[in-house]
Amino acid sequence: MPVVDVDPDELRDLTGHDEKSDDELKDDLFGLGLEFEGTSEDGEFQLEFAPDRLDRLSVEGVARSLRYQYGDASGIYVPDTNDAEWTIEVDDSVPDDRPYVTGAIVRGVDLSGGALESLIQLQEKLHATMGRKRAKGAIGIHDLTMVKGRSGRGVDERASDASDSDASAVAASNSITYRGVAPDGDTFVALDDDAERTPAEVLTEHPTGEQYADLLDDYEHYPAIYDDLGLFSFPPVINGRRTEVTADSRDLFVELTGTDQWTIDRMCNIICYALDARGGTIEDVTVSYPDVDVVKPDFETEEKVVTHERIESTLGVELSEDDVLDLLGRAGLGAESEDWGEQGTDYVVEVPPYRTDVLHPVDVVDDVGRAYGFNDLVPRYPDVSTVGGRTERSRLERAVRETLVGLGHQDLLNFHLTNEAENYDRMRLDAGSDTLGGGKPATIAEPYSEDYTIVRTWALPSLVSLLENNTHRAYPQDVAEVGFAAERDDSNTGVAERRTVAGAVVRHDASYEDAKARLQVIARDFDVELETPATTHPSFIDGRTAEVVIDGESAGVVGELHPEVLVEHDLEVPVAAFEFRLDALAE
Amino acid sequence: MELPQRELSVLEAASADEPTPIAELASATGQKPETVTGAAFDLEERGLVTVTEDTVADVELTEEGERYRHMGLPEVRLYLAAREAGADEAPVSMGAVLGDADLEGPEVDIALSNYARKGYGEIASGDLSADPDADPESDPEAAALDRVAADDTVDDDVRETLERRDLVVVHERTVRSVTLTDDGVDALMAGVEATEAVGQLTPEMLASGEWEDVEFADYNVEADAETPSSGKTHVLRATAERVKDVLVGMGFEEMEGPHADSEFWINDALFMPQDHPARTHWDQFALSEPSEVDDLPADLLERVESAHREGVGDDGDGYHSPWTEEMARGVDLRGHTTSLSMRYLSGHQVGDLEPPQRYFSVEKVYRNDTLDATHLLEFFQIEGWVMAEDLSVRDLMGTFTEFYSQFGIEDVRFKPHYNPYTEPSFELFGTHPRTGEVIEIGNSGLFRPEVLEPLGVECDVMAWGLALERLLMLTHGFEDIRDVHGTLADIDFLRDTEVVY
Repeated sequence: MPVVDVDPDELRDLTGHDEKSDDELKDDLFGLGLEFEGTSEDGEFQLEFAPDRLDRLSVEGVARSLRYQYGDASGIYVPDTNDAEWTIEVDDSVPDDRPYVTGAIVRGVDLSGGALESLIQLQEKLHATMGRKRAKGAIGIHDLTMVKGRSGRGVDERASDASDSDASAVAASNSITYRGVAPDGDTFVALDDDAERTPAEVLTEHPTGEQYADLLDDYEHYPAIYDDLGLFSFPPVINGRRTEVTADSRDLFVELTGTDQWTIDRMCNIICYALDARGGTIEDVTVSYPDVDVVKPDFETEEKVVTHERIESTLGVELSEDDVLDLLGRAGLGAESEDWGEQGTDYVVEVPPYRTDVLHPVDVVDDVGRAYGFNDLVPRYPDVSTVGGRTERSRLERAVRETLVGLGHQDLLNFHLTNEAENYDRMRLDAGSDTLGGGKPATIAEPYSEDYTIVRTWALPSLVSLLENNTHRAYPQDVAEVGFAAERDDSNTGVAERRTVAGAVVRHDASYEDAKARLQVIARDFDVELETPATTHPSFIDGRTAEVVIDGESAGVVGELHPEVLVEHDLEVPVAAFEFRLDALAE
Repeated sequence: MELPQRELSVLEAASADEPTPIAELASATGQKPETVTGAAFDLEERGLVTVTEDTVADVELTEEGERYRHMGLPEVRLYLAAREAGADEAPVSMGAVLGDADLEGPEVDIALSNYARKGYGEIASGDLSADPDADPESDPEAAALDRVAADDTVDDDVRETLERRDLVVVHERTVRSVTLTDDGVDALMAGVEATEAVGQLTPEMLASGEWEDVEFADYNVEADAETPSSGKTHVLRATAERVKDVLVGMGFEEMEGPHADSEFWINDALFMPQDHPARTHWDQFALSEPSEVDDLPADLLERVESAHREGVGDDGDGYHSPWTEEMARGVDLRGHTTSLSMRYLSGHQVGDLEPPQRYFSVEKVYRNDTLDATHLLEFFQIEGWVMAEDLSVRDLMGTFTEFYSQFGIEDVRFKPHYNPYTEPSFELFGTHPRTGEVIEIGNSGLFRPEVLEPLGVECDVMAWGLALERLLMLTHGFEDIRDVHGTLADIDFLRDTEVVY
């Protein structure tokens, strides 16, 4: 989950609540869903929260939420924007994999103090979350004074066929271009670099380039942004040094590229709201796609209709219409009520453009609950009567486990994940052989660890591994597990899952008879008929191995483990063992 | 005649002339006093000895008595000081003498009341006179204190006075003594041999009646015995059983279903966008073999895809994320057992469900993670849900508060949270029953309409989840989960762990 570092003094400053102690702030933040995780070296609060309210990835956003919660602000706020003077032209050469761009200009912003760091943090956190590590959306922020617009773009000829575009598009007189560049095409000096490099060189020679190189693996041409002086941004990898933002920068050019227009527009809105809180004035930018011109940032609000009844029934409390309107306002939402008489009251709720999480009216209900304070609700045990019970399998499993414990076996609980060496090789077994445990395994596609690459096809190897790890402990070590095993088959999921019963008698005089004796007890207790016709199995000694046949069906194997298996696992005692399907004991 | 060895030795040590106390016999025979007492009664039953009982008073100095033994009795000190001040000639002021005698507090009263009683002198209106003939050297009480300290006998009346003055305490006890009878003397004269002591009571002894004549050798009953090799239900299994008991008691019915399942049931049905970070191989175990399921329920697939793309309801929105059926067909080891909840709620597992319903499972889930003290690649998830008309957040809180209180976790707090599949959502926090720390104990919420509507559920469903291992670590204070779960477990640890009930 995202963690945002927030300076508590700045928070007090931005909310106008100097009187709040650190502890009070922590409580108020918990109520919003921001959990205090600790304090950074600089004394900043480290706040962890779920990735729904990405507008809170900066101190400005957290402060805004608190102001609403405190009742210092109410209702929806949408910043005014000035008309566009700049255009982002989208060239045909833009890579198909990253076709979308958006942006905004922010003027008169004050980035001194902690504001620049907060902006950089917001940018990074947005990349990590909504931007899906920059794959879905990447942000570049530039010092506008260092960008040299190309003027004299053919606005007049384009205006006619871009009929639904805003009139402000016509006023644009400066432009930059989003286009494709050959990997070994134009050079630029990247941030934190001092040499001219081609994009391909940046990907192999610059640390940031190396980090994001795999995002561009499938690209023939790389995304790039040009102004009149040439390439100055290489999304989604790195900006150029020329337009680097500093604490002294006053006017900013914000551009975002990505794979989804809505996503980058919302990321852009979150940035714009944070800069607005720092005194910036937002200015529109025209994005000129080959077929249409659009004006950004997209501050259009959305409407949801939620019923009074739904709010009351979800929260479990009675509220007046004024209460609800007040709570909606404190959630930063615009709201008007509509009284339908007998059919109750609806609220038409206006959702601000920095919200990415309001998909359905239930999300509005949640906002009302947070504004009300969920922890002020009194728990009640629901007056709903149902009958509880366990599955037959789970009851059977418990009964078999109890029988084995009664026979003196230590009950085990082993991992279901293992590797081929443990599951087959070290048991003298071949994968794909027609014997217990010989089935083909369900295999993990990209395992972290070489030790855990498949799902076990039988349980005995787990028991033997445990014995191997406990050779320094006192014997006897009679052990058993009633657990899970699976192998591939041609069912719908391609995996046959079963519960399996495995047991081992491990002592200096363990013999076949000990294992067979235990099977007899189990057969007696579960009232099934047990037969043990001779068989062979690579893990067991020939002549001392039998098939476990329960009520006429083959269910498993019993015998003395092969000395080679014992030696392989550093065991110096004989092991008599069995394994069979749990469901063979079922009614 | 034959006697068990313990009786024979007592018989030989006893005398016909005078009673021998048990303690003396014990040291003479090298046996414990209780063994000698038992043997004495057995011998008495045989008519070889008589056992007599005397009450003996043990006198012991109190702390005060000990102090006076060293410093002198208060009245004696007062007399000596009075003589020094010349009170044998003319009465002197009491105040000065008390100071000289180093008397203060309660000792003043003690001194004064005994002074007159013992005839050391007289006290009249604050003046003190001393009898020149009194002899403190021969004060019987002072002498008795020395005798008590030396364990010598003291006259009864002096002892009673000291007892009244709280200078001694008296413990009375019964002392048994043994005297040989004539038969005893005769038997010894005729010669007695020891019977052999028996270690193990045998079936043969019981059958033959031989047990009546044998002596059973004493065991050291306090010594530790060898611990038998025994089995025990695994502590985590036992915890799971406990959780199941609680949930069944709360009216929940158990679910079961596949560990290897399609992403459709694991993620898509849960309204997890296909580009959600938790759906990368970094977090979940995708299988390479098998890699795809054959069939998904076509109508349901369509409704789920529509929820992802368009949302549900009149003004619902979908995700701005890609969605493909191919991804939904992918096979994973389930990362949560909410896949089972989806199967049950859809009606595909046990048929259509009518409200109200409560269901739970305590089953394995898998996460592609690195193994450490608090993280396993596979662990047990407690999953539960309640389906009913008009459930509120208060019902959710009431249910989970009740559940956690069964495990000693009180004061559950609800932190508003975000899950793709529930709204409202809460992380549950509780007070650690041992450390008092506030810690996360679960995740919960009401399933979203985008989850329920495609499944065909028309009422409310609230759900929560929690790792069983976390609950165990909380209630048992374990610090490394690898000690407990898996093939790396130490068998002694499993053997030694306290049982769960």
